[in-house]
Amino acid sequence: MISREISILNKYGLHTRPATAFVTEASRFKSEIFLEYKGVRVNAKSILGLLVLAVEPGATLTLLADGPDEEEAIEALAILTRNKFNLE
Amino acid sequence: MKKIKGVRISPGIVCGPIYYFEKGRLNVPRHFIRAEDFDSELQRFKQAIQASVNELKQVRDLVLDHLDEEHARIIDAQLIAVQDEEMIKAVENLMHQERKNVTWAYYEVMNEYEALLLKTYSQFFKERTADLKDIKKRVLHHMVGEEETILPDINKPSIIVAEKISPGDLIHIEHNLALGLITWEGGFDSHAGILARAFRIPYISNVDLIEELVSYSEIILDADNEEILLDISGSLKQEYLTRITEFQKLRKRIISAKVANSTRDKVPYHIYLNVGFVDEVEAIDPQLIQGIGLFRTEFLCIEQNTIPDEEVQFQAYRAVLKKMGHLPVIFRVFDFGRDKLLAMLDLEVIQEDHVFDEWGGIGFLLENPDILKAQLRALLRASIHGNVKIMLPLVMFTDEVRQTIELLHEVQRELQEQGIPFRKGIELGAMIETSSILEQLDGLADLVDFFSIGTNDLALYLIGSGRTVDLTRNYYHPKIFNAINLIVSAAKRANVPVTVCGEMASDPYALIGLTAMGIRSVSISTSALAEISKEISALDTKMLENLADLILSADSAATIYSLLVQFHQDCLG
Repeated sequence: MISREISILNKYGLHTRPATAFVTEASRFKSEIFLEYKGVRVNAKSILGLLVLAVEPGATLTLLADGPDEEEAIEALAILTRNKFNLE
Repeated sequence: MKKIKGVRISPGIVCGPIYYFEKGRLNVPRHFIRAEDFDSELQRFKQAIQASVNELKQVRDLVLDHLDEEHARIIDAQLIAVQDEEMIKAVENLMHQERKNVTWAYYEVMNEYEALLLKTYSQFFKERTADLKDIKKRVLHHMVGEEETILPDINKPSIIVAEKISPGDLIHIEHNLALGLITWEGGFDSHAGILARAFRIPYISNVDLIEELVSYSEIILDADNEEILLDISGSLKQEYLTRITEFQKLRKRIISAKVANSTRDKVPYHIYLNVGFVDEVEAIDPQLIQGIGLFRTEFLCIEQNTIPDEEVQFQAYRAVLKKMGHLPVIFRVFDFGRDKLLAMLDLEVIQEDHVFDEWGGIGFLLENPDILKAQLRALLRASIHGNVKIMLPLVMFTDEVRQTIELLHEVQRELQEQGIPFRKGIELGAMIETSSILEQLDGLADLVDFFSIGTNDLALYLIGSGRTVDLTRNYYHPKIFNAINLIVSAAKRANVPVTVCGEMASDPYALIGLTAMGIRSVSISTSALAEISKEISALDTKMLENLADLILSADSAATIYSLLVQFHQDCLG
């Protein structure tokens, strides 16, 4: 299991569209991937879980991955997040 | 006794218990399951998810083609959410641990997600519950299936009371369970209104004391007099019950005598029927009528919640044609106005979005040639079973007709190559209901075999106004009569028959005006058939000669209205 801190830079936080992009990307990997925010940990491949976190703009989350491709998964998702999910 | 007033949408009178229909409330079967049922329950769930995914993909393609990426992403999110793995795990757990059946478990899990979203501090996330509701409804619909329709759950014949009702809701109520309808919102031309008249369900709207009604165990809905009667007893109640029995008799047989085929002075007149459902045709005796002037094929889509494939369409069209025998049946190809499409897609999240205003008509179908081709194939295949005519809705440009004819030829070639029989020389007609086509009538007449005037949409184009707003007054607007005069003249020049198939033709006063303008053919809903037939057989066209000039020189709807009411009293009253 490895982890990394990521910041949400999007204007409205991790709302439907960024969450859709995030889940789509996370689902490409075999590893188990989680997001932790305010003490709650959810499956990063679950859009419903992500939405329920209601991540505000500017928030910092912990991204965790465990599995054969954990390194690549964390790297790809961190880049996607930094690029504001290629949406803005 | 107490009275509550409303506005009549569909005539009739009934007495019965109330069913309060709360929009969006779902009826979810709940029971405990045995361990051996677990797999089959889960299987059912997975199939429902797959069916929902397929539907959403269809919706996504439509949205992407006709709207933009932005709206397609809403559907993308739903596509991912509907197959969310955590959600599926949670449902499985609930089934395992608490032995709840799959619909119950799914319902609880989705509600839990909704509750969590509502707990968040951001308005933005709270609003996402609309997406969740859409998804939940869709998946549940697939699990609960046809027999136990989830919306609404009525188990005995009742008068349905609701804030508003969509055509989709109304279709899912078994016809004999809806005794009457009472709503707060909804106009004469709303599709629920058209449906209520088609099935002869008494309906009044603009009733603002909806909540008050709920406490009564039995009420009388007198749509003829636009009122609801509460706490009624004794001899007065008896009077009403007599009228109700009369209405029930009338309701069963739409018409008992042959529809009039000429005016009093023996001028030939055609009265056709407007129909939206195969079921509706079942109740009609073809011996008594002259044909179907408007079959609204898009109602098949509302009924099925999706665009039916060629085979399903073929079966439906064939059933109608077989029942009608040699009588003409004019099938209008899918007319997806914003309201109809939304009712079909059943997506609350984009319900309020006005970009959908421009959808509809033959223009939309030409942009989706696969949909149009499948429909034309189904119609041509069915054509050997009766007298098919094809009509194009909301024609804006003559070029749209030209493109449709090309497509029709293509379909004919294909059928020929495949050795599938079809009738040759099927008549093609155009609906005249937009302002832009009024300027190209001569060119249009060269391309088609008949005109049909859609007064509902024509009024929207010429005068403007929302479909749920009451348009009755607009029927008398000088702009409408001027347009009709224009259309009748163009039709005469080209020797093309013209029919009025909007709701205007069911209005006894407007009908006089139409006949004065030279209209000799109308298509109306079954509920108006008896009355209009009687009126036409009593009309004398010789007395109408001066009326046309008076109408065309009038400068307001009020003037025309009083002219027509006066004529009605003098000559028919």
